[in-house]
Amino acid sequence: MVDPVTATAVAGPILDAAGMKALGAALAITVTGLASAWAEKEIGTAAIGAMAENESLFGKGLILTVIPETIVIFGLVAALLING
Amino acid sequence: MSRPKEMTRAVIVGHKSIMKETINALHDSNLFHIEDFVEDDSGFKIDKPFENAEDVSKKLVKIRSISSFLGIDKKESVVQKSDSVLRELDSKLDELDRSISAKTEATIKLENDLKELESQKKDLLPFMSINLNFDYYRGYENLKVFAGTIKGTLDESQLSGITQAYELFYDPQAKTIALFVGSTSADKVYEFLQGLGFRELRVPDRGGVPSELLKVIEQKEVEIKRKIESLQTEINSMSAKYADFILASDEILSIESQKAELPLRIATSANTFIIDGWSLTENYDSLVSTVNDATNGKAYITTLEIDEEEEEHVPVEYNNSKVVAPLQEIMDLYSRPKYTEMDPSAVIFITFPLMYGLILGDIGYAMILGGLALFIKKAVKSDAVKPLMNILIYCQISTAFFGIIYGEFLGFSLASLHTAHGVVPGLIPGWETITLFSGLGGEHVTFPVHRTHMVMTMIAATSLIGLLHVNLGFLLGFFNIKRHHGFTHAFLEKGSWIVIELGAIVAIAGYMGGNSMLTNVGAVVAVVGVLMLTKGEGIKGPIELPSLVGNALSYARIIAVGLSSIYIASTVNDIVFKMIWVDHSKIGFLALAAIIVFVLGHGLNSVLSIIAPGLHALRLQYVEFFGKFYEGGGKKYNPFGYTRKYTEE
Repeated sequence: MVDPVTATAVAGPILDAAGMKALGAALAITVTGLASAWAEKEIGTAAIGAMAENESLFGKGLILTVIPETIVIFGLVAALLING
Repeated sequence: MSRPKEMTRAVIVGHKSIMKETINALHDSNLFHIEDFVEDDSGFKIDKPFENAEDVSKKLVKIRSISSFLGIDKKESVVQKSDSVLRELDSKLDELDRSISAKTEATIKLENDLKELESQKKDLLPFMSINLNFDYYRGYENLKVFAGTIKGTLDESQLSGITQAYELFYDPQAKTIALFVGSTSADKVYEFLQGLGFRELRVPDRGGVPSELLKVIEQKEVEIKRKIESLQTEINSMSAKYADFILASDEILSIESQKAELPLRIATSANTFIIDGWSLTENYDSLVSTVNDATNGKAYITTLEIDEEEEEHVPVEYNNSKVVAPLQEIMDLYSRPKYTEMDPSAVIFITFPLMYGLILGDIGYAMILGGLALFIKKAVKSDAVKPLMNILIYCQISTAFFGIIYGEFLGFSLASLHTAHGVVPGLIPGWETITLFSGLGGEHVTFPVHRTHMVMTMIAATSLIGLLHVNLGFLLGFFNIKRHHGFTHAFLEKGSWIVIELGAIVAIAGYMGGNSMLTNVGAVVAVVGVLMLTKGEGIKGPIELPSLVGNALSYARIIAVGLSSIYIASTVNDIVFKMIWVDHSKIGFLALAAIIVFVLGHGLNSVLSIIAPGLHALRLQYVEFFGKFYEGGGKKYNPFGYTRKYTEE
């Protein structure tokens, strides 16, 4: 049996307001980073496939591949806003 | 801002008797982009290639296969007279072909011999330890010979239990045996050997002692290898000797083959031919005189009107100054502009290096990468590399400029910085940071701009730059559309975006200033803008509205990528300083290691500094900027002809 009061007391120093903020910022970056990576992986694979067929598609392939990158930029902005 | 070079549609018509002269003249002048004729029900057909086509392509295939066999690189070479090359082409080609096939055949034969020797050697090896002349293994009437390997250990006493009439040669290490027994007890001995996992070895047919045979084989191998090597050097010396000839004749044959195959691309009837295509308007007159000179005025050449539908398919030749020309590579990477479009090379000549410099902004890296680009430009003669290096140099000029504004050198700050914890000195003593005004979130805008200390302000500033860049795109789009569909269309489709932005800015300003009148006016303007947009672009317009915010925020990557580069650089610097700090009194191992870390770290970051800012600056052009006005998809202007490199008339 864990005494709820003790539990809060233990948890307190780890997750105080600043800790929560830092964790929130970290989550914003991490999740958006993963999301960008996932999306770019899918698009990039297809783009490379298309480029193998027709090399002149490089420009279009590059554009399509980097579009989801904006997600992580939003994450970065969010993280900076949280910390700022 | 320029438009592609003006084109004239021209048609050349003539009797078939002058077709060859016309084609030769066109090819030599390199002025005419030929439209391939597609057979339709007009009655015209494509013609057969010239008689020499087959012969030429045969020789071309031969010369190219020889060239790839000899590994001939395209290089600077002496320019030769084409008729003298042509004169000795056949004999030299034959000679080359013959001696190469003789040499390859000889090499193949020698390689086969080598393989044969190798397998003989393999047969010999198990018998080495026994070293008995192979003649002794055969030719007996009353003796049975077992030669082979066994798995277990041979106990001789067991063998002598079976028979006394035997002679055994046994190598306990290799487990090879040669056992001679009388025929009478052969079966029993065989059974016994099988119990030991006996496997028979093939006794080589030849006679002789294994160790001596091996010596002979090895000698032969050395000799054959030497022969192969000498053949190889002969082939190499041939490639040096014939390189000029091969490059020149490849060029001549390519030219001949292009000419000979042209009839496959043009319209002909029984007695006439029509060549349809495009010429640069500025070159049209010289095209006419070239064709007339070659045919004594017998060919009829005229221009045709270009109708609007056709304009989409006009081949495109850039029309840029030498300074802007390298940026055409970036355009081609995306897609060549259409003939009807503006060519934005001149704009990205400014904006691409601008974005790159804003991201990297470091004097040190500008010097390293600029020097590298200059060096590669000088060292590599390739035409493909030069424009890229020029772009890199433009980018480094911009990087150096922003490096001064940011006051950064390889991640060090050049100016001193006043923080809450005191003054951090910069690399240049006496350069004090001046606070200009206060920015966002309690930050101060200073000169030089310390990016690491004013992230929020920089995000806002870069987004603002983004907004300007995107609006420049709208403006270009406006002019593109105005040219073809008139002012109203252009204003509804592209101008409406700017109206919406202006309305939103006024509304926000009113809201912040507490002026409800201003807010309302702004809101009304914005709504009018949205209505205009809906009229101009349909429902797709309003749906894309939020992307405006996304696009502007996307420029925040300028500061984000820039910060990552600074952090890598300053991490390297920190590590190096800590290493030197340990024993800075003497130059020891750690100081050396620190130098290595410094060089490697900044070397790595230099490479990253091409890739990351380059790709992101490129993306900002392609996605955010081009998305607003650019279509692309133009066909390359590719005149019928050849740029001679190795030969001359």
